[in-house]
Amino acid sequence: MSFRTLKRLSSAGAAGLLVLASAGCLLAQNSGVKNSIPSVSDSWPTFNGDTSGRRYSTLTQIDKDNVKSLKLAWAYQTHDVMLKSTPLEIDGILYFTVPDHVWALDAKTGEKVWEFRRISHGDHLGQRGVAFYKGRIYFGTADAHLICLDARNGKQIWDVEIADVKLGYYISVAPLVVKGQIVLGTSGDSSDVPHFIEALNWETGKVIWRTDTLPKPGTPAAKTWPNDRVMSRGGAPAWITGTYDPELNLIYWGTGNPHPVLAGVVRPGDNLYTCAILALNPDTGAIVWYFQPSPHDTHDWDAVETPVLFDANFNGNPRKLLAQASRNGYFFVLDRTTGEHLLTSQFVPTNWAKGVDAAGRPVPDPAMDPQPDGALVEGSEGGGTNWMSPSWDPETGLFYVNASNGYTLWYLELGPHNLPLNHEGGYSVHLLDKSVLLALDYRTGKVAWERKEGKGMNFSGILTTAGHLLFTGDSSGNLLALDPSNGDVLWHTRLGGPMDPAPITYQLDGTQYVVAGVDGVMYAWSLSGSL
Amino acid sequence: MSALFLCLGFFLAASIRAHAQTPEHAKTNPMAAPDVQRGQALFQQSCSLCHGVGATGGAGPNLLQSGLLLNRKYFGDELSLVIQGGRPDRGMPAFPMLSADNISDIVAFLYARVEVTSSESSSSADSALKHLLTGNAAAGKRYFYGEGKCATCHSPAGDLAGIAKKYPSDELQAMFLYPRDNKVTATVLLPSGEKIKGTLLHHDAFYVAIRDEDGWYRSWPLQDVKVQVADPLSEHEELLHSYKNKDVHDVFSYLETLK
Repeated sequence: MSFRTLKRLSSAGAAGLLVLASAGCLLAQNSGVKNSIPSVSDSWPTFNGDTSGRRYSTLTQIDKDNVKSLKLAWAYQTHDVMLKSTPLEIDGILYFTVPDHVWALDAKTGEKVWEFRRISHGDHLGQRGVAFYKGRIYFGTADAHLICLDARNGKQIWDVEIADVKLGYYISVAPLVVKGQIVLGTSGDSSDVPHFIEALNWETGKVIWRTDTLPKPGTPAAKTWPNDRVMSRGGAPAWITGTYDPELNLIYWGTGNPHPVLAGVVRPGDNLYTCAILALNPDTGAIVWYFQPSPHDTHDWDAVETPVLFDANFNGNPRKLLAQASRNGYFFVLDRTTGEHLLTSQFVPTNWAKGVDAAGRPVPDPAMDPQPDGALVEGSEGGGTNWMSPSWDPETGLFYVNASNGYTLWYLELGPHNLPLNHEGGYSVHLLDKSVLLALDYRTGKVAWERKEGKGMNFSGILTTAGHLLFTGDSSGNLLALDPSNGDVLWHTRLGGPMDPAPITYQLDGTQYVVAGVDGVMYAWSLSGSL
Repeated sequence: MSALFLCLGFFLAASIRAHAQTPEHAKTNPMAAPDVQRGQALFQQSCSLCHGVGATGGAGPNLLQSGLLLNRKYFGDELSLVIQGGRPDRGMPAFPMLSADNISDIVAFLYARVEVTSSESSSSADSALKHLLTGNAAAGKRYFYGEGKCATCHSPAGDLAGIAKKYPSDELQAMFLYPRDNKVTATVLLPSGEKIKGTLLHHDAFYVAIRDEDGWYRSWPLQDVKVQVADPLSEHEELLHSYKNKDVHDVFSYLETLK
């Protein structure tokens, strides 16, 4: 998920026109199917709030009628780089990060409780947040270590190396706590290395299991590569925190692109388990099933976007579902018990694939692969969506995602003997990007409503609440509270910078707060304003 | 007969160019440095069995894609330590027999290899053009005046005169598809009936801002005004929807003739 090195900067200047599409949609009402994974309420204890990835809070104090009275409660100036982490809120304390840095704040006042700083060498592209378990904070670093801190004071308890930074690994994910294990995966897309997901003992940091995201040589999945040597060039990093279903005893985690990134000619085949959604047994790490949104990827179409878990009717039957709006521009719905494919649809226009096969996987069009003289492909350089967190609202039954439309030129670069000269094996030049917030009907993949934001990128994540609200940022620097059933703006404020992470919400001493990181500042809003 | 002459003429020109470039090329060839030459010899003795003669991999990994080499600014001298101490956990032995000077030469060789291969990849303008120039200039010209309607706004003798000389070829390809510099203008109609024209600076769901014709910044809430936006690139955006890749390469080949 190296957000592709931009060889050309986006055309600066005026933002485009906003068009609010008619919302004459039939809401995909979720007629009484109870979600077996409970939604988050008073606190926000994990990256996605709960383990479902829905980012839907049951809090109702702030609702669609009173949201227009929202006031700033506090702001905390980090004087650091742009915030890209989702904060956690546990027992009145907020925990959030940037690379090399963790803060703990009073969640009611924004007062700093402690900070932890550890300078490291390695990739500082992004740090998505920490995990909390039994009074401890778990923090992944740019040099691919996992640090365990005492949540009371930020003192380091231990520091273990997850992977060798010299090979190009680092940790961007907020770890996921599953059965007392700290589960995380490796990030990095600067060198030809294999990646993995692993579970560590919460107390000691010792590895309990480790699952390579590439098949073992000699297995049937390894036959999706020309040979073991080509396969060993690796790929399949685990950039974004996965989700977990305790009843089914399965962890769901997406993987990224194969290597070399753009030069698919040297690795014919599907290249498992790159650009795939893996269902893992949390006790052993074994891959129970997998689904590959982008077989034989040649456009950096990581399938790492949050695999969102919800229970709802599908074709008249209640089912345990998994939905992903994938970077390749396609929306997938699977049965999360078995991995059975239920739906594939395009959520943004793109033409890299020439169709969808019987298994529900897009079939790459070789003419749209990167070419020596350039291939013009419809679709944003960074994909139909990227790291920004989506949300699923059980009341509307709609799946919300900040998406991108556009056009990109993709180039293949091969050297002597038709081998890629470097890890990329080519490059891309983005021509045009337009951002749009989409509400998708999970039953059909059709757009129920959309909010077009014009030219530019929007990396904000999304929060929905039982107060019948959807919070997100737009590409023009606004925080929005929208009606999740039709996209109507109920409240907005200018942020003074881009909101990269998703907003969160929690309730303390009878007051509900909405919190969002904007550039280097953490902001909190409530109905009453400051204490 | 005439074809033969043309061919001869081409070869002559090509050989003159190659000649003229040779001395300069040798001067800047990083592989020619003495430490790199020594390092290359040492690498063949000690390392090539696993990493290949050109360090592009064999039983061992391709070193030219190693994070350690590519992220030199992060890792500094770490590479030397790895060569000396090996990576026992990954099957790479230590090389205690190599002196510090030997290792420094091997490191110089590896960095030179990275430099050479990456300069091969970005290559000279000529080589980039060779890869890109796959279209039919005549067909591109037809598209320019026909289906593409490019001549509505552009002219080879006017704004596009010498365009191929102004921009590197890969930039020109992206540029003609969707130019980088764009001045969107807006006309804002005030409740008083006054119309104010300017360069559009901001236009979201809530307010509009322009730089007016006197150079002053002005903004209004959207509920108070009507806004008309003129984006000169809207035609380019329309074309993006309709181009086939052949059109892209044909038009590019035509534009490359406008020297």
